[in-house]
Amino acid sequence: MNAAVHAEGLVKTFGRARALDGLDLTVDKGEVHGFLGPNGAGKTTTIRILLGQMRADGGRITLLGGDPWRDATELHRRLAYVPGDVTLWPSLTGGEVIDLLGRVRGGLDPKRRADLLERFELDPRKKCRAYSKGNRQKVALVAAFASDVELLLLDEPTSGLDPLMEAVFNECVVREKQRGRTVLLSSHILSEVETLCDRVSIIRAGRTVESGTLADLRHLTRTSVTAELAGPANGLAGLPGVHDLTVDGARLRCQVDQDALTAVLGELARAGVRALTTRPPTLEELFLRHYQGAAS
Amino acid sequence: MTGTWSLIRLVLRRDRVLLPVWIVITALLPASIASSTAGLYADQAARDAFAAASMSNPAQLAMRGVIYDAGVGGLTAWTLGSSLALIGGLVSVLLVVRHTRAEEETGRRELLSSGVVGRHAPLAAALAVVPAANLLLGLLSVPGLVATGLPAGSSLLFGLSVAGGGCAFAAVAAVTAQLTASSGTARGLAIGVGGLMFALRAVADSGGVAWPAWLSPFGWARLTRAYAGDQWWVLGLFVVFVAVLAAGAFALSVRRDVAGGLLPTRQGPAEGTLRGAFGLAGRLHRGSLAGFAIGFGLLGALVGLSARGLDTQLDTPQFRDLAAVIGGSGARVSDVFFTFVMYVLSQLVTGAALVSALRARGEEAAGRADLLLSAPVGRLRWALSHLAFAVAGPALLLAVLGAAAGLAYDGGVLRVAGATLAYLPAVWTVVGIATLAFGVLPRLAAAISWTALGVFLVVDLLAEFRLVSGVVLDMSPFVHVPALLLDGAASPVAPLAALTAVAGALAVAGLALVRRRDLTPA
Repeated sequence: MNAAVHAEGLVKTFGRARALDGLDLTVDKGEVHGFLGPNGAGKTTTIRILLGQMRADGGRITLLGGDPWRDATELHRRLAYVPGDVTLWPSLTGGEVIDLLGRVRGGLDPKRRADLLERFELDPRKKCRAYSKGNRQKVALVAAFASDVELLLLDEPTSGLDPLMEAVFNECVVREKQRGRTVLLSSHILSEVETLCDRVSIIRAGRTVESGTLADLRHLTRTSVTAELAGPANGLAGLPGVHDLTVDGARLRCQVDQDALTAVLGELARAGVRALTTRPPTLEELFLRHYQGAAS
Repeated sequence: MTGTWSLIRLVLRRDRVLLPVWIVITALLPASIASSTAGLYADQAARDAFAAASMSNPAQLAMRGVIYDAGVGGLTAWTLGSSLALIGGLVSVLLVVRHTRAEEETGRRELLSSGVVGRHAPLAAALAVVPAANLLLGLLSVPGLVATGLPAGSSLLFGLSVAGGGCAFAAVAAVTAQLTASSGTARGLAIGVGGLMFALRAVADSGGVAWPAWLSPFGWARLTRAYAGDQWWVLGLFVVFVAVLAAGAFALSVRRDVAGGLLPTRQGPAEGTLRGAFGLAGRLHRGSLAGFAIGFGLLGALVGLSARGLDTQLDTPQFRDLAAVIGGSGARVSDVFFTFVMYVLSQLVTGAALVSALRARGEEAAGRADLLLSAPVGRLRWALSHLAFAVAGPALLLAVLGAAAGLAYDGGVLRVAGATLAYLPAVWTVVGIATLAFGVLPRLAAAISWTALGVFLVVDLLAEFRLVSGVVLDMSPFVHVPALLLDGAASPVAPLAALTAVAGALAVAGLALVRRRDLTPA
């Protein structure tokens, strides 16, 4: 069994609302797995089931080889969690919370704790009620990164961080991966997932719509082509697999399906190419297509 | 003040159940007490005898004050004046802090303030709704009183006196909500001020000096003398008090940042020593528990001091009769006194125990439990860490209360402390109800637990007026506690063991269900 997380057909209902509707998710050991979806797609519900805080109504799920509901306490020795909306005890200082969480997880490395506090520029002597959202998130992140665990469950962990701190966060995740740890990173910030993740699962309305490496997913999508031509390329408009074609004098833009690329390049060459830019799809485009496709 | 009207609608929407329930129940109480007083003490001679007995009872004087007139109206105003002002004051404090400081602490105020909402609007909305609710319940109590045959003018004055008490503490809470960044501290400060005010009136009414009562809204609620000469001008004191404090609160609120307090937030240690769930629970409970222990210690000392010399002072025929009715012939007056007072105070201790028992739910609702439970801390261990304080806390408080009373009474420390501790199983039963509610219906746990305690209080109050008996009376666990100081002959073991068993069964069922259900955020 090589998967840190394996879920099949996960169902969770709240009254009449179906939060998870047959979700599949596999996270291999040692990988950084992006868990993408719009707000309300079921990311947090999935993570809460993984943490044994909720029980799934249907489907099968294993976490680090165990049952996340039945073996919760045992499994929690081997994982750390950072919630998307961190609430802390207002009367405790950040340092006290970090040490409390560290102790119950079986101890922190004091050197790593000090190093992380410095890198995240967090003052551990402040009472938690005085922290901003970003600083509360840093408390949970320091506690998670300083603990000695196999799996990190991070639920939109950078939603309150500024860009500098996001960079620090990215370094920390890379370091964890180098140490051989598994990371499940839920996010709707695509650039973050794009730089950090080995594989991604995209979910929508409680179902997995796509799962694979970024390269796999790009398969499914279109290449952006921008060209400056010597003459008109009249054949292009009629080609199957060409979308959103706009012609502005000699400039031409379009989106091309992968299997239509050869034909498109042929048409362009016939017209005479002065300049040509092709760009792989960003995750944003990939994302948008999934949601638009499913919404329409 | 822009946006005040929208915020008023928000407050009404959030409290659309709580406000009507509180208003209707409180408004119905005076008429039912008036009609039962008329029924129980049919002629003036009976009422005079009852009034004389009550006035010779220092516990009654301290709790309810002086009887100005022994008519049906006068006795009703005496029975309820102080306690309705107390209940109204407490509810008003909780509501004002809930809609001002608590909103800031949770960050919801920020969201609203970014819209078209004036700086003063949240405070103005709270100070519009809460006093209006108090006035409404005061006015609604009038028709019922008039229907039982009491004069309309005096009934209106009585209703407004009760409303005045609630309004006064709404204004106190408006000030304390400006002082600290923590809603818990704001509530504690306001309730502390309320306790002080109540003590001023209690001291004035049970001792020789009368003037301290004029310093306290609880005093004013009685000094309007409804049905006993109607001093309408005393209502003016409420108006001035509320106006001054409200103006002060608005002035303070512009001197601070949103979510900030006037009292500074201090820094703390950079490193922690908390070890696990129980260490954390100890840290979270210790402040309120220490505060309650000091409070109940002082209260116990006050009770003990008032009981000194009672046995000789109160050797009147009336009180001997009363003592015989309550405690059997030959009962010592001081023992009857302690029994009566501890019955009431044990219900206050239950309130303190509920605060501890409901803290686990508070942690869950706020999302703080998520983080702790994602670590290797089991659900049961976490729930037990808080329950332990709801079990041991009231034991400590009752022991402190009884020991302080015994010490100040100058003798019988163990006897008085023992008789006070006898209420522990009854307190635990309410804690058990809270734990079961926490397991089954977490979102309603607080409402269910406090309602249960409120029902027991009302049942006990109505039982005093013989309005309930039998099965209904048996519902209240406090009824089953043996009065150890009085009937020493009967074995107290069976009822105490039975209550403990009920409490234990409720708690075990609650804990089992907590393990089986999903964590439920607010």
